Amino acid sequence: MGKPKAVVNVHDCLSCGGCVSVCPVDAIIMKNKVAFVHSEKCTSCELCVNTCPVGAISMED
Amino acid sequence: MMKYDAIIVGAGPAGSVTARFAAESGAKVLLIDRRPEIGIPVLCGEGISQRVDKWNMLEGSDWIANKMDGAKIYSPDDTMVTLSKEMAGNETGYVVYRDRFDKELARQAGKAGAELLLKTEAVDLIKKKDKIAGVKVNQFGESFEIESDVVVACDGVESKVGKWAGINTTVKPVDLETCFQYTLENVNWPEDYAEFYLGKKRAPGGYVWVFPKGNGEFNVGIGVLASLSSPGKPKALLDQFIDNHPGLKKGSPVRMLTGAVSVAKPVETVRDNVLLVGDAARHADSITGGGLTTSLEGGKIAGEVIGDAVEQQTFDKEFLESYEKRWKQVFGQKLLRNYVVKEIMLDMDDKTLNMLADSLKDYKFEEFSTLSLVKALVLKHPTLLMKLKPLMKLSEKSKENK
Repeated sequence: MGKPKAVVNVHDCLSCGGCVSVCPVDAIIMKNKVAFVHSEKCTSCELCVNTCPVGAISMED
Repeated sequence: MMKYDAIIVGAGPAGSVTARFAAESGAKVLLIDRRPEIGIPVLCGEGISQRVDKWNMLEGSDWIANKMDGAKIYSPDDTMVTLSKEMAGNETGYVVYRDRFDKELARQAGKAGAELLLKTEAVDLIKKKDKIAGVKVNQFGESFEIESDVVVACDGVESKVGKWAGINTTVKPVDLETCFQYTLENVNWPEDYAEFYLGKKRAPGGYVWVFPKGNGEFNVGIGVLASLSSPGKPKALLDQFIDNHPGLKKGSPVRMLTGAVSVAKPVETVRDNVLLVGDAARHADSITGGGLTTSLEGGKIAGEVIGDAVEQQTFDKEFLESYEKRWKQVFGQKLLRNYVVKEIMLDMDDKTLNMLADSLKDYKFEEFSTLSLVKALVLKHPTLLMKLKPLMKLSEKSKENK
C-alpha cells in the first residue's frame, strides 16, 4: 500500500488551474478542461487539496 | 513548415498586447490559444485602473461595464474607509466585461497583422541544438510543430512555457490567492463604488470584492491565501458573505468562476529566445491581485523589444534582456514594494486593521501628506505606531532609492 494520492472529482472541477500552479512536482495538468493528477508523480503533499476553491480534490488510496 | 518571428502562447491581455506591438514593429507574429473563444472563461474580478485611457490600446467603450467614483474599504468590524476617485482610481477605475475586453485586444493584435489560431494548445517547445526554436502544438487531434525565433509565454499563472524553458514557475501556497466568484443579477445595492471587505474570518489573507457592473449586475468574489485555505473554503466563505449581505443576498447568480492569482515576486522573465509576460511572469500586484495594467504595460514593452530583435536578427538572452530592464523601470519597484506590504499586512491581526480603519475613516485623503496621515493614524490609536513601523521603514527606504 502506497500513500494516498490526490484525485480530482471531474464533476466539481471548474478548471481554474490553481492546483497546477502550486504543485511542486508538476504532477497536475489540465486535460479535457479539468485538472488531472499523474498519480505516479504525486508526492502526497496535499497542497492542491487545500488550494482548490471548491474542494474538488481529495486524497485517495 | 510554418515559420514565424514570434509565437505568443495565450491570447489573454498580455498575449494580445505583445502580439499587437510586435506586429506593429514589423515582426511576423502568430498568437495561439488553447480555448475555442478568446476571453472565455473570464478568470478575473474585472476591475482595471483608469490609466488604461491614456494608453489607447482599446477602441470603443462596449468593454466598459461601469465607471467607479472610488473605493470603499471595510475593516473586519465593518469600519468603512472611503477612497476618492483620485486616490483609488489608480487601482479601481473601471469595471469591465473581461470577455469583450480580451476580444478587443485580440482584434487589435489581428488588425496590426498578427495571425490568430484558436483551439491550438502548446504541448512542448521545439529545441534545436539546445536552442528553443518554436512550439509543438495540438489542434483538433493533430500534432505539429511551428517554428519561431522567439516564444512568448503568456499562458497565465500556471505557465507551462516558462517551465519548459527552464524557469521555476511553481507558486508557493503562501504566494497564491485561490479565488471564487459569482456574477449576480437583480442586486439592489449602490453602483458607484467598488467595495473591498477585509478580515481574517471573512477572507484569510485576502479580501472579498463587490464590483458593480451596472443595472443590478455585480461581480462578487473572494480571494483566500492558499496557505490559509482548506478544501472548498473560498466558496463556503463567499456564500456565507453573500447570505449575510443586505444587498447581495437577493441576487440571482448567473455565472460561477474559480481562479488563482499569484501574489508573488516576479520570476526571471527572459531566456534565450523566450520571454514571459503577464501572470506567467508573476506580474500581478501582491496587494490587490490586479494584473491587467502590468499585462498591458509589459506586453507593449515585450512587443517592442521583439520588433528590435527581429530587426537585428538577435534573439539571445542578452539582447532580449532589455524587456526585463524596461518593465522593471516601469513597474518593477512597485511590484516589489507591494509584495513587502502584503507580507506586513498578513502579520496584522484584525484588531490592528480595525484601529487603522478607525483612524482613517474621517481622514481627508484629498489633503494628503505623509505627516498628516501619520498624525491621523497615531493620535487616535497610539499603539498603531509600533504596528506600522515596518511600513514607515519601507516608505523611508523607497524615498532613499528615488
